[in-house]
Amino acid sequence: MTDMVAGDAAWWDVRLGPKHARMERPDRYWSWSVLLPMCHLVQLAKRRYCRPLVIWARADSGRFLRVGMSIFIESYPYLESSRSADSYFIWFMSAADPAALQSDFSMSHPPALGRVLLDNAIVLSQNAGAGGRIGLHAAVAGGSTLLKIYTRCGLLLLPATAVLPAGVKRQNDGRFLFADEARAETLAAMLDPSR
Amino acid sequence: MKLEAGAPATLGAVVEAVTRLSIHSEAEILELVSAGRLRELFPFRSNRADELPRDTEAEEDLVEASPMPLSRKGQAALIESSMPPSSATRRGSAARGRRRPVSKS
Repeated sequence: MTDMVAGDAAWWDVRLGPKHARMERPDRYWSWSVLLPMCHLVQLAKRRYCRPLVIWARADSGRFLRVGMSIFIESYPYLESSRSADSYFIWFMSAADPAALQSDFSMSHPPALGRVLLDNAIVLSQNAGAGGRIGLHAAVAGGSTLLKIYTRCGLLLLPATAVLPAGVKRQNDGRFLFADEARAETLAAMLDPSR
Repeated sequence: MKLEAGAPATLGAVVEAVTRLSIHSEAEILELVSAGRLRELFPFRSNRADELPRDTEAEEDLVEASPMPLSRKGQAALIESSMPPSSATRRGSAARGRRRPVSKS
C-alpha cells in the first residue's frame, strides 16, 4: 500500500479506466485524475483530510502493479448517530478488473481486494484512535449487488430508518454501511495472518 | 488542471467550484461522480502532459504508506503531490518513477 500521487491516478485512468468504462461497474465514470485533487480540496474546505491510497500486487514477473485505489476521509462522523464519535469514511474505492489484470498485465492470480480495501480503512481508524469504526455509502449505480458484496465482506447495513449524524447532510437512502468497534476487530483479525 | 474549454484553471474558478461542491454531502458527490455528472459542478480535467508511470515497480521502489495518520507536514506534501503536474511544483528528474516518502507521525 502506498500513498496515492498524481501519477498513480493518471496511470489508472489511462491503463485501466477505458477497460472499466466498457463494463457495468459503478466506477465506470470515475476519473481518478480529477477525483484525487477534487477530494483533497473539498475536504480541506470542510476542514477535514483525505487519505488516498493505492494497493499493489505482485504480477507474474515479480514486480508490483497497481490493483486497487481508495480515498478515505479522516475524522468523519460515525454513522450510528446515537453515538457521537469519529470514524473513517470510505469515499471512493475501486478494484481493478481481475480479467483485465490477467489478460493485459500478466497477473495470473489477481487478489480478492474487497476485504483488503476495508481492512486498510479499519487499521487506519484503529491507529487514529477511532476504534476501527468505518462507514461508506454504496453507490446507487451498484444496485443491490454492491450492497450484497459489502455485507458479504462483513459490513453492517445501517437501517434505512436510522437518523444520520448532522455532519453527513444527506437523507438515509438505505445504502449506508458501517463497522462498529467489535465488527472492525473481527474483520481485522481475519486478515492478521497475512500481515 | 484545465478548464473544460482548454483554458488554464484560475484559482478563482477552482475555489468557486470547490465551494459549490462543498455544500454537497460525500454520498451526494459519490452519486454525481458515479452518474458521470461531476463536470456539472467541477468542470476541470487533468492535463496529462507528463510521462505516465511504468506499469510495474520493483518492491524496493515502493514506499509503504504509513498506517498512522499523517502529520500536518506529511498531509501537505501528499496534497501537493496529488495535484496535476502543471499546478504542482515539478519534481526533479531524480524523483521521477520513484515514490515520495510520507512523513511518519
